[in-house]
Amino acid sequence: MKSQESRVQEFVAAFEGLRAEVEKIIVGHREIINHVLIGMFAGGHVLLEGVPGLGKTLLVKTLAEGLELSFSRIQFTPDLMPADIIGTNMIVEDAEGRKHFQFQHGPIFAHILLADEINRATPKTQSALLEGMQESFVTVGGMSRPLPAPFFVLATQNPIEMEGTYPLPEAQLDRFLFKLRVRYPAIEELNRIIDRTTHSAQAAVARVMSSAQVLTFRELIREVPIASAVRDVVSTIVMATHPQWEHAPDVSKRFVRYGASPRGAQALVLGGKVRALAEGRYNVSVEDLRALAGPALRHRIILNFEGEAEGVDVDTLIGQIVDSAESLTTQGKELFVR
Amino acid sequence: MSEADALGRLVRQVVSQVRWRRVEHYGMRGAFYGALAAVIPLVVKGPLAAWAIPLGVALVIAGALAGALFGAMKSVAPVDAARLADRSFGLADRVTTALEYAGRPDRGPLGEALIADAIERVSRLESRQIVRRVVPREARFLPFPLALAVVLALAPPVPIPSSRAFNLSRSAEQEEATERGDTAMLDEKSRATPKDDLKRPSFEERDFAQASRSGASATAGDLSAIFKDTSLASQRPDFNSFLKKGDDRLKLLEQADRLPDLQSDFTTSQYKMVFKKSKELRSGLRPDQISPQKLKELLEEMERLGRKGGSWGADAAEGMEALEYGQQDKALEAMERALGKMRAMEERDRSGKGLRGGRENERGSRSREGSRGGGMGPEDQDFGEGEGLLPGRGRSPSPKGEASQRLRAAPYDVGVEGESRRGRKDSYDTNMTGRGGKMDSRLQYLGVIGQYRKIMEDAITREQVPRDYHSQIKDYFQALDER
Repeated sequence: MKSQESRVQEFVAAFEGLRAEVEKIIVGHREIINHVLIGMFAGGHVLLEGVPGLGKTLLVKTLAEGLELSFSRIQFTPDLMPADIIGTNMIVEDAEGRKHFQFQHGPIFAHILLADEINRATPKTQSALLEGMQESFVTVGGMSRPLPAPFFVLATQNPIEMEGTYPLPEAQLDRFLFKLRVRYPAIEELNRIIDRTTHSAQAAVARVMSSAQVLTFRELIREVPIASAVRDVVSTIVMATHPQWEHAPDVSKRFVRYGASPRGAQALVLGGKVRALAEGRYNVSVEDLRALAGPALRHRIILNFEGEAEGVDVDTLIGQIVDSAESLTTQGKELFVR
Repeated sequence: MSEADALGRLVRQVVSQVRWRRVEHYGMRGAFYGALAAVIPLVVKGPLAAWAIPLGVALVIAGALAGALFGAMKSVAPVDAARLADRSFGLADRVTTALEYAGRPDRGPLGEALIADAIERVSRLESRQIVRRVVPREARFLPFPLALAVVLALAPPVPIPSSRAFNLSRSAEQEEATERGDTAMLDEKSRATPKDDLKRPSFEERDFAQASRSGASATAGDLSAIFKDTSLASQRPDFNSFLKKGDDRLKLLEQADRLPDLQSDFTTSQYKMVFKKSKELRSGLRPDQISPQKLKELLEEMERLGRKGGSWGADAAEGMEALEYGQQDKALEAMERALGKMRAMEERDRSGKGLRGGRENERGSRSREGSRGGGMGPEDQDFGEGEGLLPGRGRSPSPKGEASQRLRAAPYDVGVEGESRRGRKDSYDTNMTGRGGKMDSRLQYLGVIGQYRKIMEDAITREQVPRDYHSQIKDYFQALDER
């Protein structure tokens, strides 16, 4: 039996290796790649938001190439139907000429599912993903069919082209572990993108991890210890997003209509565990929570009218909430004046 | 247990450091308050003699010791100390988590690895002071009471007024008078004058006694009424200054043009006086902003005046009753009614003296014309109190018409009184279109305009019409007159 240190080192090496493979194709976006990997190892799904051409789809495709996992891509359009995603029962004729229904698997039956431009499909079609994302199985014709494990949805959406789109409902947004904002690359990164993509030679991505390994790492991650004091910080951060909470900071009371759900707290803790282990640490620290608060909470906080009108940046708001939550717990106070 | 001990050693070191910092912190605070207390015996060091300085020093030391003791006795939670160690040594909550998991049987393989990792990292740490010193605010001001104490210690004793100074008994006063001699005696006599029962009329009496119907000289001999509006009103006559340079009052009497005209004083009219007070009371305030006490005083005055022969006493009493139940709106309405009745009585009195208002003259001339054979239409009729004429509706008991439902009444449609609200302002096209625009009116133009003018003036006076609209509204009516 392997020692814990070696298991952790194995995970660190696998994490670094996978990231290195993705970085062969994707220039920059180090933090985005890290968060996508954290989301995958935590067992969640990730929503990538960014303007066209920033490499969102390429990132997901590259990640799928680096893993020995099945991959399917659905380009969401307004006329896409739920059956196009899940699959449907079709009448087929067997060798003896008897006709019977046979289930034709939809593209959702893959380890990694890229839901490209997810907000272009109708809510009915979007909701077809709900059950699969949460329960890891789908029900067709009264029969539940399990999805392959690990099942990982990576969705993309374009934040500026909103005409003819159907913004994701809160219930579906909440099912994404992280929402990542893909920023425009810096000039050095842009130069590297030009060099890398306009030459004839293309880098090949090696497969560095199998589905079994991913599942093993997922189990390991859940064993990472978290101190009750750090867990209290998580609860306080999530509660501080609720304007109704008596200790909520002023920014929440002023700008927030609805705060994060308990899934937000789960996302913070699970993400923190992966981040800690990826850094070779055996415990979750408050620094992990601070680093992941934005991706885990930004799609779970709904601004009120004043917040929308004043153009409040949710990430800035989350930063302030985390600061206040730290000072609400004992973390941010001087010991001797308490 | 040895694992927990290894981590516990670090925690104990941190706890010890925290204790020392607390001792320093609270000791400085205690020293400050001790120094403040030390000033007192040094101020009164006359009676304390040689004990003052040692007592002051003892107070400073006692304060510092009490503060230090308080700081040392405050408890430090081991978890807090562990988190402080984690932050200070960059251990990313390893010590906190390891300390917690060390005492748990279900720590698991990663928990074991965590504890081992934490112990290894802690053993590599170099012991250093991690709790920073926080100087209390009081410590910055500590030099001031200390310096004051030193100055007081070096300075001669502060003279303390003897108890004799506070003896105001008659015998003491007499003794002083004897010592002072003749000039002082003169002064004493001049000062004795106010002790006489020269009872000055109170504010209300001065205001309303003069306003009595008989016009009797209620203030005869009371020259203070002349100086009522000057700075001299509050001063007593000073015989000494009169001897030196003449009384300022006499000088003022020589300047006849600067004296207030008592004949035209508002106090000659009860209504005007009360109306003025009510206007001052309400000036620019909403009903809920008006002081209930002042409103009550005004209603009491009105009620008192009503008892002398007015018909508004019941309204004023009703207003007071409403005020007692906290219904300020009703009290204000009652006050308005009482004021209306006072005004009616005032106008009746004035008409008896041949001082009739312009409208009454106009109506009188019309009625005279009517008696000469001219027809008297509905517009020419005189109206009772509270009645008016609305275009197309004939005689109406409500001169302002029925209240209409406010269009799109919304909270943010309400602005600050006296200012127009922000944002887009809706306007309405009053030009009639369609068939109605081509039909002739059956009403007299000037009669209608007069009615609306009255409504407009009332609205501007009483309601919350934004100030910057006043001139615009008046210009509009001026333009209507010119048509």
